[in-house]
Order: sequence, then structure tokens, then C-alpha cells
Amino acid sequence: MAFINLNNVTYKYPLTKTPALQNINLQVNEGEFVAIVGPNGAGKSTLCYTLAGFVPHFFKGEISGTVEVAGMDSSKSTLDEWVLNVGLAFQNPFNQISGAKYTVFEEIAFGLENTGVPRNEMKPRVEEAMKLTDISNLADRSPYSLSGGQQQRVALTSILVMRPKLLVLDEPTSQMDPIGTREVFGVIRKMAEGGMTVVMVEHKMEWIANFADRVVALKDGQVLMEGKPNEVLTSELLAENGFGVSRYTSTTREAKKQGLWKKENLPVTLDEAVEGFKK
Amino acid sequence: MHERLSFFVKRDSALHHLNPLTKIVLALSIILVSIFSPWYWTSHGLLLVVIVPLVFIGKVANEYFTSALRLILPAAGFIFFMQAFFQPIGQTVIFNFWFLDITQESLLFAFRIATRITVMISAFTLFLLTTHPSELMSDLTRRGLPPQFAYVIISTLQILPQMQAKAQTIIAAQRSRGLDTESTFFKRIGSVVPLVSPLVFGSLVEVEERAIAIEARGFTSKKAKTSLYEISDRSSDKFIRWGLVILVIISIVLKLWLS
Repeated sequence: MAFINLNNVTYKYPLTKTPALQNINLQVNEGEFVAIVGPNGAGKSTLCYTLAGFVPHFFKGEISGTVEVAGMDSSKSTLDEWVLNVGLAFQNPFNQISGAKYTVFEEIAFGLENTGVPRNEMKPRVEEAMKLTDISNLADRSPYSLSGGQQQRVALTSILVMRPKLLVLDEPTSQMDPIGTREVFGVIRKMAEGGMTVVMVEHKMEWIANFADRVVALKDGQVLMEGKPNEVLTSELLAENGFGVSRYTSTTREAKKQGLWKKENLPVTLDEAVEGFKK
Repeated sequence: MHERLSFFVKRDSALHHLNPLTKIVLALSIILVSIFSPWYWTSHGLLLVVIVPLVFIGKVANEYFTSALRLILPAAGFIFFMQAFFQPIGQTVIFNFWFLDITQESLLFAFRIATRITVMISAFTLFLLTTHPSELMSDLTRRGLPPQFAYVIISTLQILPQMQAKAQTIIAAQRSRGLDTESTFFKRIGSVVPLVSPLVFGSLVEVEERAIAIEARGFTSKKAKTSLYEISDRSSDKFIRWGLVILVIISIVLKLWLS
């Protein structure tokens, strides 16, 4: 059975009329790296909250269909069991700083303290996680004195240190520079290769094309399309539905109309575009 | 912008190494003894013989005397003069101004009250200077304080300065759009709404996100919590605590017995 199994999931937030998710079917295997794309209000964040157990356990509201992650069924398990298996990091780093800790090191250990990890295990795990995301030099700083990008790394590290089976990320690199983005994508790729399942909402199409195994395109709470990154990200369907596409895709689409692009498939990244124009 | 609401000064001293609870008990017993002791000299005695040496043992003399000058002296001085002038006791008038008399008795009384206030503020300043807030909260949580309560205290200390910084940003943003914050009183009252509403509503949204974030890190997990740092609680700590409790009891008994 698939590691993530969403079956006909429809969900409505309390006090709203239209459902945020409609008839979502999604299967993800263990160790897969899935990217979710979609315009604002497409239900990307709601899908993240569903996978992380916050829908319906935190937000309440009406849900139908079945949500199964790592062998847990959301209708039968509670949020505190869920968070032991699923890690969630989201966009605004400032609100992910717990506020209960005075240094980055303590901040990252917060989740371990809460879930009862013994003290002698805690220190090496925090050190290892900080090394992974390359923030060891920030250990003694106050989490509030960091830049947005650094705070995002701290937020990601605070979740990685808990060693979840499924990592759910909602635009985790929104405040990072290109170098930071590449490093974080590298880390996430490594985690996926190590067997962690990753579901990530991201707008940076070129990065998705380089790193993700599969792309799911959401619109109005429904799955519009899913498949290999290059197929989905260059498809006409996405362009017609107002999805953001990579500048290399839109340029070559225009070039193809004028007969300058000879290949059948459009590129997503710079390298592919250069390669295609050379031929 | 990144400052935080904490008096703690990191030093390596015997006082810093005491268990946080021991330091609370110490501060409270100094205050209680100064209130209950029947002798006139207790408060200034405590100040000279207990608090000042502790300040030096804790290696926080600089910080203590700065805050003493800034906070303790004005507060105690104010109370001293109020009591000296307005306490209607005693016959021996020393000083007279219009209808106000200072008598020998009111002077002594004022001195006693002022030193008592000084002892109270000093004891707590000393406690705050030598105790890290998160160490205090971890220790109290370990002893049965609900973690939610500890979280509220600690996060408030950290988040308040952040909110202050945000308020400054909002003020700057609204002023750059022409909001009047410097003219007449009534116009300024009118400009409160566009300043306060983004701050309040923004904070409410933040609270929800922060709740999700700490929940995602197992805050309400039913597993027994552990702590990154071991907080020492030696047998000497227990000995000091019980000794202090006995001192307080003695001073209460003496008060009841002698008066």
C-alpha cells in the first residue's frame, strides 16, 4: 500500500461555503519527493495541513473521504500521534520560532524535549541536524536575531531533527537567496534518497524540475494534473490555467511558435534550454 | 530591536549555580523576614549583611548598583519623603514647612518603610539578575508547573519586544502614507485606530500560526517531557531552602511573641 493514500478527500473549513479541497486522490510511495504547484487559493496549504494532520484535528471543519499516512488513519488517530511521524514546516519563518527558547540550539531541541527524547541523545541529534542544514555557526544566536532565510533554515532544522517519516513543506525557501535555496533543495533531496517521503509546495519551477520526482498541480481545490516534473511544468494545460511557469518554458514556447525551437518538448531549466538551442 | 525582556546576566558564580527554586525561596525569605522581624534594625541590617554580600558573590555588582540607582533609590526615596511628611505620629517636631511636620517618630517610620521597600526590590533584582528565565521555567515545569503556563511566561518575555518592533514598523508605514501622529491631541487619538488594528489583527493571525508550529513540534505530546540541560538541584540546595523556611518561621514566631 502507498505511504500516503488520500482517497476522495473533500474538506471544508468551518464557516466557509466552498470546500478548500474537492475529491482529492493522491498516492505517494515511501521515499518519493513530490512537489505541489498551483495559484493562490488552490488549496496547497490546506493539502499540507491535511497531510500533517492539522486538518481536521486542529482546524475542525467537515472532511469526507479517507486520509492515510504512514499506516495511520486520520479519523482514528490523534494529532499528537500524527506529529511523531509527520513533520510540517511552513512559509513564515518568524511564526515558527517557538518563542520559548533563547538560542538556536535550544530552539531546535524544543521538539525533542516535547517528545521525550533522552538528554544524552538530544545533543548529538541537534548537532547532526544543524550540520546537515549548515547552521552550526548559529547555535548560540538568539533565533529572533536571524535573517528571514536563516530563520527558515532553523524552522526546517527544528523539524528534521525530529526525524519524521513524512516531511511536509509549505514554501520553505520563500525568503532564501538562490544559494540558500539550492542548498536546502540539496538537503531535502538527500533526505528523500535516505527514505524520507517529502511533499513540498514550491513556486520555483526550475528547482522542482531539478529535484522532484513528481509534480501535482492543484487548482480550485482539485488535482488538475500530475506526473513527471517536465511533463507537468511545460504542459499547455498549466499555461492555460494561469499557473506560473519558468521563464525558460515561456520563452521557448514563444520560440517554438516562430519555429526557432526545433525539439518536441519544452524545457524548464536554463541548462535544458541552452542544450535545446544548441541542436 | 532584538533585545529581550530579561535581566539575566551570564556569569560564573556560586549564586548562578544554585537551583532556581532555591533562589526564589531566598528572595521570598529575605522579604518575609524583613516584614515580620520585630526589630527595627532588621531591614537595613539585611541590606548590608545579606544583600550587598550576595550581590558580590553573584558577581553582578555593576548591574545591581545601576538598577539600584535607576529604580530602587527613586522609589524608596519617594516613599521615604511621603511617609516622613504625612505620617501623623510623634510629638518631637524636627522640621516644619507650612502645615507639614517632620517628627522624629515619622522620620524613623519612613526610614523603616523605605528600607523595607529597598530590600524587597533588591531581593527580586538579585534573583532576576542571576536566574535564566528558561532555566527557571524548566525547573518549575519539572516540579509540576503546567508546561502551557511556563510557555506563556517565557514566550511573552520574548515576543513583547518583537511586537514593539512591529508597532514601530506599522507607525512608520502609516506615517509614510500621511497619517498624522504629531499634531493636536484629538487628531492623535484619531490615528490610534489605523495603528492598533493592524497590530492586533496581525497578532491574532500570528498566534494561530505559532500554535500550529509548536504543535508540529509535539508541544501537546502525551509523552513525558525531557530537558536539554540538566538543572542542578544538589542536597545543599535542599538544605538552604529548608534553612530559609525555618528562618522565616522563627521571625514570624518572634513577631507574635514579642508584640
